[in-house]
Amino acid sequence: MATYYFNNKGEPATPFTVSGEEMVLKGRGIKAIAPDGIEAWRLSYNLVTKVVDVAYEGLSEEDAIAKKLEDGTAEAAATLQAEKDKRAVEEAE
Amino acid sequence: MSNLSKLFGGSSTTDPRKEGLPLFGLWGGSGDQNTQMNYRVFDSNFRVVSSPWAAVTSTTSNYRFGMLSDGSHAYAMNDHGTDFHSDLTTQGYSSWTNYQKSIYQVDQYPHCFHYTVSREGFPTWQSYHQFTSSFEYQVGWTKLNMVLPEGVRPRRTFTNRRHTMREFMGNSDCNCDYYNYSSHLVDPAVYNYATGTGYNEKNKMLVMIHSGDEGGNTSKSIHIFKSSVDLNATTRIKDFFDNLEWTEYFTDTWTNQNNKDWCVVVGNNCWVGFGLKQSNSKRYGVFDCNQKGVGVDTTGASRQWSTWQDFAGSTTTSYGATQGHQYYTKFQTTWDGTWGMIYSPYYYYGCGINAFAMSLENPRKFININQTKSSRVNPYIAWGRTGFHGGKSDNCDSEVWQTYAFAFDPKDSDHTVDTRVYKGSTSGEGAMPDNNSLVGGDFTNKTGVCSLDAMRTGLHGGTQTTNYPMLMGVNWWGSYGNADASYGGK
Repeated sequence: MATYYFNNKGEPATPFTVSGEEMVLKGRGIKAIAPDGIEAWRLSYNLVTKVVDVAYEGLSEEDAIAKKLEDGTAEAAATLQAEKDKRAVEEAE
Repeated sequence: MSNLSKLFGGSSTTDPRKEGLPLFGLWGGSGDQNTQMNYRVFDSNFRVVSSPWAAVTSTTSNYRFGMLSDGSHAYAMNDHGTDFHSDLTTQGYSSWTNYQKSIYQVDQYPHCFHYTVSREGFPTWQSYHQFTSSFEYQVGWTKLNMVLPEGVRPRRTFTNRRHTMREFMGNSDCNCDYYNYSSHLVDPAVYNYATGTGYNEKNKMLVMIHSGDEGGNTSKSIHIFKSSVDLNATTRIKDFFDNLEWTEYFTDTWTNQNNKDWCVVVGNNCWVGFGLKQSNSKRYGVFDCNQKGVGVDTTGASRQWSTWQDFAGSTTTSYGATQGHQYYTKFQTTWDGTWGMIYSPYYYYGCGINAFAMSLENPRKFININQTKSSRVNPYIAWGRTGFHGGKSDNCDSEVWQTYAFAFDPKDSDHTVDTRVYKGSTSGEGAMPDNNSLVGGDFTNKTGVCSLDAMRTGLHGGTQTTNYPMLMGVNWWGSYGNADASYGGK
């Protein structure tokens, strides 16, 4: 486990003490404990539960990337299909 | 040269290169980039300035329409791409229809990586047939980083590789000038590879790094050439070197993963910032390049201010010149030429931003800029007088289009005091709060991390219709003056 600093929206901001403590001191950041060995893009600070969330928890970086791509593709396809369905309904009316 | 201010008795002239405040193109389309699509150019106040060009279609198989239907300016029927919704984890420059939203697309030069866009609003996809071997992708890292007067972007393209400077027409593949400056090098230790060059027009000063190779060699020789003529005003590159007032050098050993990533920022006070992407992080150091005398201060240690600074913001896997020379570290300046940034993506092939933003008056004044979006982004461009914006909205369905916008104080160049950054908000109450607090922050020089916030623009994506906006760089922001809709009296 290691200290990580997040901005007030819960996004990763810095792992460095000097920069992070300045953020906290000036009200721009949150100090939290994050798991080791997880790339920062997967980290976020949950403003409700007050803990660090890990995206695709339990997966390796390689598997997390693959799952992220899979999810993104599925989401885009679903959005496009919904748009087509909506248009078809409008044209039928 | 005659101009209006002379004709009307004015005492000053306006540089004919000077442009109005920055414009940007905004491409919007439905999920399939076919059923609905349109394109407009906006100014820094988010007012449209382009003319409509009849973007109408109702089929699901014809991607060409309006002005885009001109086959001589297209490579494929869907140059603009059919997927603006990729996350740039695997989509590098060869996945070019996805990659157009990468942070790499725009730098300080008026042409962009994969396209050129006119002020009138006509986008053209360039390098149609051989995009894998065109100028920008392979050797764009040899371009000079320019520090220029207010409102001026580089209108000429000078490059430096080995011991040779060349001039190109835009980002074409054709030389129009050549000069081997070997005879002007004064360091007895000759390193054969120029790997980063900066120019300051106010000082007529050219600063270049030479390394032992174009890979990871750490040996460095830095030459400082001070001329009496402006490189950008010369007829030939040779004229700059023929009129050198003095030349000095220093040597050092600098850690670098790939020499093609080096950016050189020559400040108005002759302190020079050197920065690059270094693995997932970045480094930045500042050296005194004022005249010292022949043989004086020829070591890096004798000229360096403070210490090298590693990027202090959040980092994750991201790609630079080591992964491909086209992913070299980029440099960009604000419209007024008072602030610049050396930057690269936060995430893989172009999402988010990791940047050192520095005063161009005094490169010792710098902070870290951080934004950690990890999918579906947009590039950053110069915005307003002293700022940048970009990178935020990926789908404007039922939303106002947002950017991560930030601005600096153009008079702020003292590295001994905090740097003020102005930011926006996603609400009027946030941007104009009912109190006296600053919307933005003050950041400690060198180690301060500015985490960007989104700003609503007032441009609406349209309700209940998928809209994947693409922010594009514009090649001419229009002549500076009161004919420009953004003109604010300065």
